[in-house]
Amino acid sequence: MTHFSLDDSSVFVVIGSGAGGGVLGNELAQKGHKVVCLEAGRRLEMSDIVNDEAAMFGKLTWLDRRMATGKPDPNFPVWGCKTVGGTTMHWTGACPRFEPHEMRARTTYGALPDTTLVDWPVTPEEIAPWYDKAEVRLGVTGRQGMPFLPPGNNFKVLEAGARKCGYTDIDTHNMAINSIERDDRPSCHQLGFCTSGCAVGAKWSTLYTEIPKAEETGRFELRPECMVTGIELGPDGRVSGVTYLHQGKRVTQKARAVAVAGNVVETTRLLLNNSSDRHPQGLANSSGLVGRNYMRHFTIQVMGVMPGKVHFHRQTHLAGVVRDERGHRPERGFAGGFLISTVPFTPEILAKNMITGGWGRDLTEVLDKYDQLAGMLLTGEDPPQLSNRITLHPTERDGYGLPVPVIHYEDHPNTIAMKEYAWKAGRRIYEALGAENVIEMGDYIPATHNMGTARMGDDPRASVCSPFGRTHDVANLYIADGSLFPTAGGCNPTLTIVALALRQAQHIDREVAAGRL
Amino acid sequence: MLTRRTVVGKMALAAMLPAIAASPLSAIAATATPKPTPEELATAALLHTAFPHARLDAAFYSGVAGRYLAEIAKDPAAMAEHRRGLALLDGSYIAPFAQLPEMVRRSMVARYDQEPFFKALIWRGAELIYRDAAVWKMVGYEGSSVEYGGYIERGFDDIDWLPAAGGAK
Ligand SMILES: Cc1cc2nc3c(=O)[nH]c(=O)nc-3n(C[C@H](O)[C@H](O)[C@H](O)COP(=O)(O)OP(=O)(O)OC[C@H]3O[C@@H](n4cnc5c(N)ncnc54)[C@H](O)[C@@H]3O)c2cc1C
Ligand code: SF4
Repeated sequence: MTHFSLDDSSVFVVIGSGAGGGVLGNELAQKGHKVVCLEAGRRLEMSDIVNDEAAMFGKLTWLDRRMATGKPDPNFPVWGCKTVGGTTMHWTGACPRFEPHEMRARTTYGALPDTTLVDWPVTPEEIAPWYDKAEVRLGVTGRQGMPFLPPGNNFKVLEAGARKCGYTDIDTHNMAINSIERDDRPSCHQLGFCTSGCAVGAKWSTLYTEIPKAEETGRFELRPECMVTGIELGPDGRVSGVTYLHQGKRVTQKARAVAVAGNVVETTRLLLNNSSDRHPQGLANSSGLVGRNYMRHFTIQVMGVMPGKVHFHRQTHLAGVVRDERGHRPERGFAGGFLISTVPFTPEILAKNMITGGWGRDLTEVLDKYDQLAGMLLTGEDPPQLSNRITLHPTERDGYGLPVPVIHYEDHPNTIAMKEYAWKAGRRIYEALGAENVIEMGDYIPATHNMGTARMGDDPRASVCSPFGRTHDVANLYIADGSLFPTAGGCNPTLTIVALALRQAQHIDREVAAGRL
Repeated sequence: MLTRRTVVGKMALAAMLPAIAASPLSAIAATATPKPTPEELATAALLHTAFPHARLDAAFYSGVAGRYLAEIAKDPAAMAEHRRGLALLDGSYIAPFAQLPEMVRRSMVARYDQEPFFKALIWRGAELIYRDAAVWKMVGYEGSSVEYGGYIERGFDDIDWLPAAGGAK
């Protein structure tokens, strides 16, 4: 086991071991750099992963206190993980790329009122080879020679209904789930518990891919149960080290450079909570934009009671996609688009999801036909708004004694229009197959996709980070998660987080070679 | 046709998520006492009204009621709120709530379904009922699959009623 000294100021410190931090840390170690990865959560073994949603929720989920105002649940606005592997333990593995028109959102959509729409400072052409690399890394199905996953029941219903509605861009999706044995991991056994951590390791999670590989280099040290609270600056204005809490003790690790990948809410909290004379509004926040432009995609669901049995619990959660509504077609009454994919629920979660709207026969009629249910998830673009914002509570503290993050979020009218349209589109798909009953639901689920609070850009007054994710204000401080996204696109974010992390690793490597880091 | 989103209210915890304090269920029916108290009867009737399944019998609902009451007995505030709720229901009609016909029970619950006692009951009730292996069997949910090698050989793609079911591209 590699161990670096706390005084070793030649190490790169990566905060967080999820999609962004796990990939960046491994990539830097592969390139010959020394890395200390600090992770707030515990390190689980494969044997800790069981097919039980409630048990895994307790083991994986970030449950430290958070608050919200506006639309989200006031106590549980965001759903993510606190464990080695981060939210790649909960995630369902869908890996779509941003569309070129989405990376040019301002140009494509025009001036949408009350938004801060911009074009990405990274062009679609520039990111394309990094997407290729990310897809190879994650073993994404339907890309780079990886076969698609086989179609299962829930997907077959979606596909058949969608084709009746005239949709054509449909398949089992680009998934970071092994369709064949690969990378010393088995192919998917269709366990149906993807969000509980994949018990066989078919789904890509940094816990058993990036992290052990990084450790094999002998240049990577993972420190679990280390909650970073401070980022220290030297007299030259550069980061000199980070401070974390480990088993009740404060520990400081010196560093050559630091990358933060705490998944938006925590990344924001860390920056805002590290104000100083030099950085009175919080670290790297001379623009005042840290925490602003918080985006989260809408995720709504439609359930159909179908005329025959579906058994939708018997396969990967996200088992296929319809892409036809992804494009930008203003005649639908909104800018941007959305993806339609599958989702199953256990009886318990279905019941809980439904009792937010009612009880009695309305509820049990659906549960009695559990084996006839098909389910879909609709996920759409969320435009950036300055007022959607993460701040620190002035007085409330969490178990670490840190200010509780407060998330303020409201839907933009564009989002509301797109959701209304998406519910109808989803309903039509199941009705086309003669569904006995169609239930529209899920406008209150906590955010699983978090983006935008430290956006990249060329202008230091209008963005927090450079196009390589380096903060404009601090020369050796990087951000490596969805906070960087200038806009949200109409698709799941993780492949893009990984592509940007790989690109950032190359940038850092070159900066070191050039003697600038 | 239902349109739940038009009537969605906010619950304390996001609906997508399983409970934080998950306790496994074991043989609910066995916990039912032979002579139910009026409180158990009323709670069971309330659960039956909220989650009416023709295939579940009275013993099942009293078992869940017993378990729910045992849990909240440890929390005086929760018990007081529950009792306040039962008193509202029992005091509003000529007979105790548990003895009323189902239709009347439904309309009474509709009157009180935003009360904290009822929200707490249906939230925990959903866990107690739908985390029970017997209920899983009844509705056709098959649970943990890793010990059987997943569903890949056990029907993940066995659908047979679709018009010209397609495949992956
Ligand atoms: C149920 C669910 C399904 C999802 N499905 C998909 C999908 O299909 N496709 C997709 O693209 N995305 C999906 N996502 C989103 C995806 O999981 C995230 O986009 C991704 O994991 C984000 O990577 P990250 O590195 O930014 O954060 P994370 O993966 O969340 O990792 C952050 C890590 O940092 C740690 N940390 C935070 N603060 C500190 C601190 N101060 N000190 C030390 N450690 C800290 C956390 O404990 C955590 O382990 C899903 C999410 C959920 C919840
Ligand atoms: S369905 Fe596939 S990916 Fe999901 S948990 Fe099971 S084996 Fe893993």
